[in-house]
Amino acid sequence: MPWSESAYMKPSHDLNESEDGRARYRSLLEASPDAMVVVSPNGEIVLLNAQAEKQFAYRRDELLGKDVKSIIPEGFAERLIADGTRTAAEALAQQIGTGIELNGRRKDGSQFPIEIMLSPLESAEGTLVTAAIRDVTEHKNAEKHLAQMEARYRGLLEAAPDAMVVVNQNGEIVLLNVQAEKQFGYRRDELLGRKVKSIIPEGFAERLIADGTRTAAEALAQQIGTGIELSGRRKDGSEFPIEIMLSPLESAEGTLVTAAIRDITERKRIEDALRDSEERFRLMASGIKDYANVMLDPEGFIVSWNEGGERLKGYRAEEIVGQHFSRFYSAEDIRKGLPAMELKQAKETGRFEGEGWRVRKDGSRFLANIVITAFRDEKGQLRGFGKITRDITERRRAEEHLTKTMEDLKRSNEELGQFAYVASHDLQEPLRMVASYTQLLAQRYKGRLDSDADEFIAFAVDGCNRMQGLIQDLLSYSRAGANAEPLREISCEGALEKTLRNLRPTIQDSGAMVTHDSLPTIMTDETQLVQVLQNLIANAIKYHGAEPPLIHVSATRNSGNEWVFSVRDNGMGMEPQYFERIFILFQRLHGQKEFAGTGIGLAMCKKIVDRLGGRIWVESQPTKGSTFYFALPAGDGK
Amino acid sequence: MMESKRTSIQPLEVLLVEDSPGDVRLTQEALKDAKVHINLRVVRDGIDAMAFLMREGEYATAPRPDLILLDLNLPRKDGREVLKEIKENQELKSIPVVILTTSASEADILRSYLLHANCYITKPVNLDGFLTVVKSIDSFWLSVVKLPPNRGL
Repeated sequence: MPWSESAYMKPSHDLNESEDGRARYRSLLEASPDAMVVVSPNGEIVLLNAQAEKQFAYRRDELLGKDVKSIIPEGFAERLIADGTRTAAEALAQQIGTGIELNGRRKDGSQFPIEIMLSPLESAEGTLVTAAIRDVTEHKNAEKHLAQMEARYRGLLEAAPDAMVVVNQNGEIVLLNVQAEKQFGYRRDELLGRKVKSIIPEGFAERLIADGTRTAAEALAQQIGTGIELSGRRKDGSEFPIEIMLSPLESAEGTLVTAAIRDITERKRIEDALRDSEERFRLMASGIKDYANVMLDPEGFIVSWNEGGERLKGYRAEEIVGQHFSRFYSAEDIRKGLPAMELKQAKETGRFEGEGWRVRKDGSRFLANIVITAFRDEKGQLRGFGKITRDITERRRAEEHLTKTMEDLKRSNEELGQFAYVASHDLQEPLRMVASYTQLLAQRYKGRLDSDADEFIAFAVDGCNRMQGLIQDLLSYSRAGANAEPLREISCEGALEKTLRNLRPTIQDSGAMVTHDSLPTIMTDETQLVQVLQNLIANAIKYHGAEPPLIHVSATRNSGNEWVFSVRDNGMGMEPQYFERIFILFQRLHGQKEFAGTGIGLAMCKKIVDRLGGRIWVESQPTKGSTFYFALPAGDGK
Repeated sequence: MMESKRTSIQPLEVLLVEDSPGDVRLTQEALKDAKVHINLRVVRDGIDAMAFLMREGEYATAPRPDLILLDLNLPRKDGREVLKEIKENQELKSIPVVILTTSASEADILRSYLLHANCYITKPVNLDGFLTVVKSIDSFWLSVVKLPPNRGL
């Protein structure tokens, strides 16, 4: 039995020299279940109880006045004696309230293990010490037995992969292994002697306890060898799922129970995930209405059928399950052995995917996309096939329609280009006649008819001239980029030089100044690049402001793998609403009287830049000048 | 006998192969002021052009031209074929042929020279240009250049 608080003598200060006080104290001593001995500061026994007589096998008078060393040879008297550094009271104070394990000696000289608890007792003779002495022989034996058992099982327990806990019939933990410490987050000494309920709150201790209908051993027997899923609780209070296996262990103290405890958090998680995934798959497979989702056995007979299958092929599950899947194929495909070939491929490579015409219950056909997947068990044995069929008739039709539309569009574009060329070319001929003869009229008859005639002829000549301009521009526009040469590495500085050479008279006449930053070498068509630069620079000169034209050309590489060229001027600029319009063919912002021209230049630039895979745009403010940008693919990445 | 000396009094024979009456008239107008006396004969297509040169049918008495002005786009027989036949013919190939056409296509230009055209001119779209060109032909081919002896005379 462990010590209990009530077994100790409380320090008593009312013990004085009076005989009455001593008698009262003696009766108190006799009431104690332990042997009690009162010792003077010099180690002599001054008082003892009947239990002390019994335990040490002395008569009371043989012990009174005797040195306490005769019954407790070592470790007690020394504790009462002051040394250089402390008084006896201080030495004693350190021991008060603490159980000390020592050896007792009986009258016959035999020794036995004791545990003593000391308490001070003030008296006229100084501080006396009351020692409560308990024979712990039996306790020691039990400890020895447990130690032996522990030694025997510890090796076994520690070798186990699971947490192992040995519990007695009271539900107290008597043994555990390192895994148990780790799993529950306790140190070994924190768990020993503790109720198993503190680590397995429910379902374990109850199983150890007998009820009216069975003994504890019977209760346990029912659980032996069966995994029980319970909850474990760690020191920090967190719980986790465990599975425990119980086995009985006979011992001197009765049947102990060994519990192997496995943390099944991961297994639970996998089980949950698997259940979720199965559920999801089931929902998906049955719920999908656009796909026929069919399971086949290894020979190709239908095992399962879904709503999509019914919708797509017209069969209900009860009429199709058990049938061979080849019935979805046309007679011709069956003759060619297609169903068997598809299964063979799925079997050999794990998967077959194909497209083909399939037959519905009513005999109508649809274009299907089919995926057949082989299912194998752990040993690689073929278990069957999953077959997913989609109706792609509509999609195919849409694709074909799209392809046809694209082709039509391409042809129509080509025709349009051809038309523009032919029209402008063929229009030129009769127009040349009209122009030539009105001009001839003007030359020969000016002043020889009346003034009205002169005016009319002048209008006719002017109209012809403008129309010829338009037609020529239309012709060059329709030709722009048509004879594109293969892209080559072009020095843009070289292209700019050529441009400026072409524009030399214009530049000189206008007093324009054209500057530029260093320009890159890119993969492009030099002729076309020159055309673009020439149009932009000529425009910058043409639409100048109050100052002589200042034009700056530069190029920067952007993050989108493009070179962005800019042609900046100090010209008249424009309102933002025209930023898009100026790139449209024959769109002009000015009348013929202000600036001659047809409005072909920027449209041509846009067409060329588009064909080179680039973009063109403008930023401008009225009177502040314009900057035209065009971005070209950097090509080789230089 | 084989060689006869041409004098400035003798008119130069020029054959114009041209289907457009407008261009024929313009050419005639342009040549009005020519320094030399020019006998301009006109045929409207390739078949007539070859008949003229081979002196077939109604052209049995046609003169051998000193210069041919040939349009490329002609009815019945294309100007390109006419050029080829002229330059493959031993009798005719010494006659200078000036291609005078609306086509500015590089393919036409190259092909014409490969067929030994003597020069290639694109008709200017305005009157002044056209007149200038015809006068240039006149002054260059009919005054500056020494033409081969006209064996047809």
